[in-house]
Amino acid sequence: MNSTKGKTPKRLLAALATSAALLAFSESAQAQEILLTGPLAGAPAVRKLRLHRQSRFEIAPLASFTLLDPYERTILFGARLNYNLTDWFGIGAYGAYGAVKIPTALVDHIQEVNAQRRADAGDTYPTTPTGRLTKVNLGPNFEDQIGQIDWIVAPQITLVPFRGKIALFQSIYIDTDVYFFGGPAFVGVTERENCDECNSFTRASRMAIAPTFGLGLSFYVNKWSSFGVEWRGLPFSRNTGGFDTAGGGKDDDFPDNKITDADRQFTFNQMLTVSYSFYLPTQHKISE
Amino acid sequence: MKNSRVGLLVAAALGILPATSWAQGKGAKGPAAAAGEAASGEGEAAPAEGEAADKPAGDATPAEAAGDETPEGGGLAEICKIDPAACPNLDMEKEAARPLRESIYAMQQIFALRARRFELNPYWGFTFNDQFVSHPGPGLALNYYITNVLAVGVNGNYFGLFNIDSEFNAQVRRATRVAVPLTEYNWGANLNFTYVPAYGKFAGFGDFIFHYDAYVVDGVDAITTRPIPVIDPDNRNFEYQTKIAFNAGIGLRVFLNRWFGVTLEMRDYIFPDKLEALSVNNADPGNPDYWYDDGNHGGTSYGKAKARLTNAVQAQLGVSFFLPFSFEYRLPK
Repeated sequence: MNSTKGKTPKRLLAALATSAALLAFSESAQAQEILLTGPLAGAPAVRKLRLHRQSRFEIAPLASFTLLDPYERTILFGARLNYNLTDWFGIGAYGAYGAVKIPTALVDHIQEVNAQRRADAGDTYPTTPTGRLTKVNLGPNFEDQIGQIDWIVAPQITLVPFRGKIALFQSIYIDTDVYFFGGPAFVGVTERENCDECNSFTRASRMAIAPTFGLGLSFYVNKWSSFGVEWRGLPFSRNTGGFDTAGGGKDDDFPDNKITDADRQFTFNQMLTVSYSFYLPTQHKISE
Repeated sequence: MKNSRVGLLVAAALGILPATSWAQGKGAKGPAAAAGEAASGEGEAAPAEGEAADKPAGDATPAEAAGDETPEGGGLAEICKIDPAACPNLDMEKEAARPLRESIYAMQQIFALRARRFELNPYWGFTFNDQFVSHPGPGLALNYYITNVLAVGVNGNYFGLFNIDSEFNAQVRRATRVAVPLTEYNWGANLNFTYVPAYGKFAGFGDFIFHYDAYVVDGVDAITTRPIPVIDPDNRNFEYQTKIAFNAGIGLRVFLNRWFGVTLEMRDYIFPDKLEALSVNNADPGNPDYWYDDGNHGGTSYGKAKARLTNAVQAQLGVSFFLPFSFEYRLPK
């Protein structure tokens, strides 16, 4: 039988030292503070950054969906072409054609009432009070007089101030950036034709010039492609309903029984765009 | 046997040390501390550089920590001096070569942990999809994060004084002589569940770092609404009625520090709404039974009021306060 005499204080010391070590290390498991001193002082915020944009062409097929339209929703298909001079600055153009046009429920509602009135009054409709009051504004088929966006071409510059990554479900992460863009836009518009007597409800096409701007997010799927979502504002005046709403009265704020440029109301057109970008060359650079 | 207990204790300490070294103490200084920060991403040295940046601090620090725990090192060397029999006889190279079974998270050392914290979120709501009447107004949300990604909470909206009948509405009515039923809201109260599937960080202008997350929210609500009389305003005067509603939304939260952030949320409040009848029962225009639309599109059946599903999409811009203001890391994530 071995004697334990004299060993107990040593073991006690050993246990205390071990416990102290454990406690000391558990205390150090706290959140980190950003140290502005030491080797990181003055260092760039990001090292070994994958430069997804720098010196690369970007070709992005896209679909744009107009938002908050009173009368007609438009889906435009097109592309965005960019050349990124640096990782944070690029020049390029956006172009899209309005291929799908869907009337809103408001158009259906107005036309339903309009058709019912005309059916009830028959040939005498133009002489009824409603017929006379709506003579300039409401044709036999309301859908045929509403304003449309046909196409958009917009040379633009792109700034990419924010670059980072996103983790999804704490299991995968992808590089991402936030970009802002802006420039002039040339917009093909179809809307009610100007008229003085206004016995017809025909439409005419014109080109409007407007500012365009917005912001977007890119999610880099691999070295040569990314998925993107962007919002675009496109404010300009147009006659969305084909109505006579202005041109008369003291401040031209009342109808004048004519369709003129004054009837074009300022509209903050908005679009949501989804795109898939391809980058050339297919290999990106990496920062220091 | 008793010596082996001490040995086991020391071995346990060695086993635990790498796990406790995920984060560094506030007072950590010098190259080792800086290296730890760089590797973890928390030090913001490499937020977007890819896999290398996302290796946990544990990848670097366990080796450093273990280096201190060899018999030649500081802490355990004392134990070996006191009781050579208790000195652990581990092959550190062999131990280091063992495969790690740690969970590696895509985003280590989250800047602002949400778990077991309250979030107070005052915001202003903007109507996003009603051309005729906009319903802006203030709101307040209170969430409690049960885990870092799951929260339960409530939010309330007040619209009463802020319903705005748009100019567009007047123009359409004047041009077409067609009235569109209008609704105004008074208040809404919601019970919500929030899930945060996405977390990320951005380097701004390559200079500063900010963190953000994206979340989805849904819940069950009560909302009070009433029609604005436009068809027969002389006779009709509607009272507010409370409806059961549901909501779903997505949001983005940008952290400006560990307890304060800016939020932008899109929320769709879905509820069955009763609209004003488009026709007037001239025989008894003052009878409220005939004031609501019966689904007959303005016909004269004057049946029971029929509710229509309404989507009130609202953009909510606000700020978030997380309470308590500070928190402590216990896990690498």
